[in-house]
Amino acid sequence: MTVHHDCDVLIVGSGAGGATTAAVLAEAGHHVLIVEEGPWVEQGSVVPFSLDQMDQQYRSGGVTVALGMPSIAYTEGRCAGGGTEVNSGLYWRPPEATLDSWRIKYRIKDFSTDDVLSICEEVESTLSVQKVPGEHTPASDILRRGADRLGWKNDEIPRWMTYRDGAGATEGHRQSMTRTYLPRALAAGARILCEHRLNKIVRSGRRAVSAELTDMTAATDGQNAVTISFRDVIVCGGAIQTPAILQRTGLRHRVGRTLAVHPTVKLAARFDDVVNTPDDVSVFQVKEFAPNISFGGSASHPGLVALALTDNWRDFGSAVTSWPELAIYYAAITSEGRGLVQVVPGVRDPLVTYRLTKRDRDLLGQGLGRLAMVMLEAGAKEVYPSFKGAPVVRDRADLAAMTTMFAVARASVMTVHLCSTAPMGDDDKRCATDSHGLVRGTDNVFVNDAALLPEAPGVNPQASVMAIAIRNARRYCADRAG
Amino acid sequence: MSDSVTTQRVPSSVARFADGLLAVDLPRLPDSNRCDAVAFIERRIRVLPSITRFGVQAIAAGVHAAGVTLGHARVRRVVLKLPLPLLTEYPRLIRSLGYAYIWETWPDTDVDGGTVEGRAA
Ligand SMILES: Cc1cc2nc3c(=O)[nH]c(=O)nc-3n(C[C@H](O)[C@H](O)[C@H](O)COP(=O)(O)OP(=O)(O)OC[C@H]3O[C@@H](n4cnc5c(N)ncnc54)[C@H](O)[C@@H]3O)c2cc1C
Repeated sequence: MTVHHDCDVLIVGSGAGGATTAAVLAEAGHHVLIVEEGPWVEQGSVVPFSLDQMDQQYRSGGVTVALGMPSIAYTEGRCAGGGTEVNSGLYWRPPEATLDSWRIKYRIKDFSTDDVLSICEEVESTLSVQKVPGEHTPASDILRRGADRLGWKNDEIPRWMTYRDGAGATEGHRQSMTRTYLPRALAAGARILCEHRLNKIVRSGRRAVSAELTDMTAATDGQNAVTISFRDVIVCGGAIQTPAILQRTGLRHRVGRTLAVHPTVKLAARFDDVVNTPDDVSVFQVKEFAPNISFGGSASHPGLVALALTDNWRDFGSAVTSWPELAIYYAAITSEGRGLVQVVPGVRDPLVTYRLTKRDRDLLGQGLGRLAMVMLEAGAKEVYPSFKGAPVVRDRADLAAMTTMFAVARASVMTVHLCSTAPMGDDDKRCATDSHGLVRGTDNVFVNDAALLPEAPGVNPQASVMAIAIRNARRYCADRAG
Repeated sequence: MSDSVTTQRVPSSVARFADGLLAVDLPRLPDSNRCDAVAFIERRIRVLPSITRFGVQAIAAGVHAAGVTLGHARVRRVVLKLPLPLLTEYPRLIRSLGYAYIWETWPDTDVDGGTVEGRAA
């Protein structure tokens, strides 16, 4: 039995791109249907950054990897609200210089920096973007203290959180998409089908006409087929799934060829006091070497501390019992490397690969060394870098040894910032879509998520994704009204 | 192989390898904890993206077949030592998943797998 739905606009994915698109379109009177592969999980019902959260709200339980030398572990949200439900909530406007350079290099029309920044202002107000009114976590203070002692630029990054007056860092309420844009879209008449995976968009020439989905809640295989007819479809599945969906639809021009990420390397640092706050991350970032290298704090659940020590268990393992005194930090770089997302016929998930350049490798090594220096300055007793064969770093001499021993091929490299797999712009040699997300070679297939960003922005990307999605959604409404 | 795996349904190649690896790495980890950790590892491997999953299962089957002929403990030692790019990722993945689960579920676990209950007994 096949269930059938109709709508004006089908939106695939309900993350930063999909939720904002749905709200703008539904409020403009379009009959919107959102399909989301993951479940709707209420904020606060799962412990943040836990394995349980990974089971419920991440794709593949959080174990996804871009193959390469080294391979890069990445994570994607897979739930109503997408990555916005599980992420650290650290808000950065896209840098003006980045927007200017994208406009010129990719020939993006009607892309004034002022317009994008004024949409950012709206987003900041809707998401209650603000700094922590009260106390910071010890892990935050460590990063600030270490950077201050070195005279390195650092700052508190505001988050999309609401707090009661004077509340501390751990008392915020995350203003993710299930709290903000999705309720707005639903109030304006949009519908959402969670746990529905879009498999394929069916085309007739330049027009997409329907979509084939699987209802993942259906008890048996024979009862889980769903089809949807629509006027237009907007794909917002995130930087890995969006190109896979397009390729399965036969749309390949510049699709999935230019995956961009912010690769990170990590370390764990042990202090004399309890510094671990398992359910939260540092809100400080060190920007002395930005945009090339930035430092920040990672989730530090005891399980994640064990994970950070795994590669050198014989030498580092005994530290695991002191996990309350340990916290995990990362050095992130802007990468010049690029990756591929490719569907393989007959296989459900796409093949993802990434190649770091020589400069990327060098930057990761420099980043890890400087991050370890911040930790020592902040008073760390021992630092455990995450690469195979790394020494325990207790002082500057160990640090020098560690820097010479570092080899990125032996490091645990990971990323949570993925973009640029269907870049937008009027330069059709570089771009998969036009300047407003319409996929080349089609009349009614749009992309409106992180895949559109022509390059990794060098800062946490969600604000860039949302601002561009709102811009394009408004343009869509204006075009369809005319 | 430990009781925790032999008393279950027929274990997969991944489960056998994971159980043996954790038993050697964390000798004082109670059998029931190891059994839970192995079940978690199997669950996560089942939901890996297709291509990674095929790769892991192929390596697991090869390692298992070699173990049947040459002895599981011996093959495990070789796998841990051989610096072959894809092969080294296999025990690394199993350990990462297993350790993350163990310390998240029982954060008081000692580095050799000993637990508070074990210490008290
Ligand atoms: C752990 C983590 C921490 C992060 N921290 C920050 C941070 O602090 N600050 C910041 O700015 N950014 C952060 N990010 C990045 C940010 O979350 C993403 O840039 C943003 O969510 C991307 O939005 P998107 O709409 O492109 O994709 P997503 O938000 O990932 O949404 C895509 C949605 O589409 C759904 N989908 C995919 N395929 C299908 C299909 N076939 N059928 C139906 N539905 C489908 C997915 O399930 C998902 O829910 C973080 C990300 C992660 C994972």
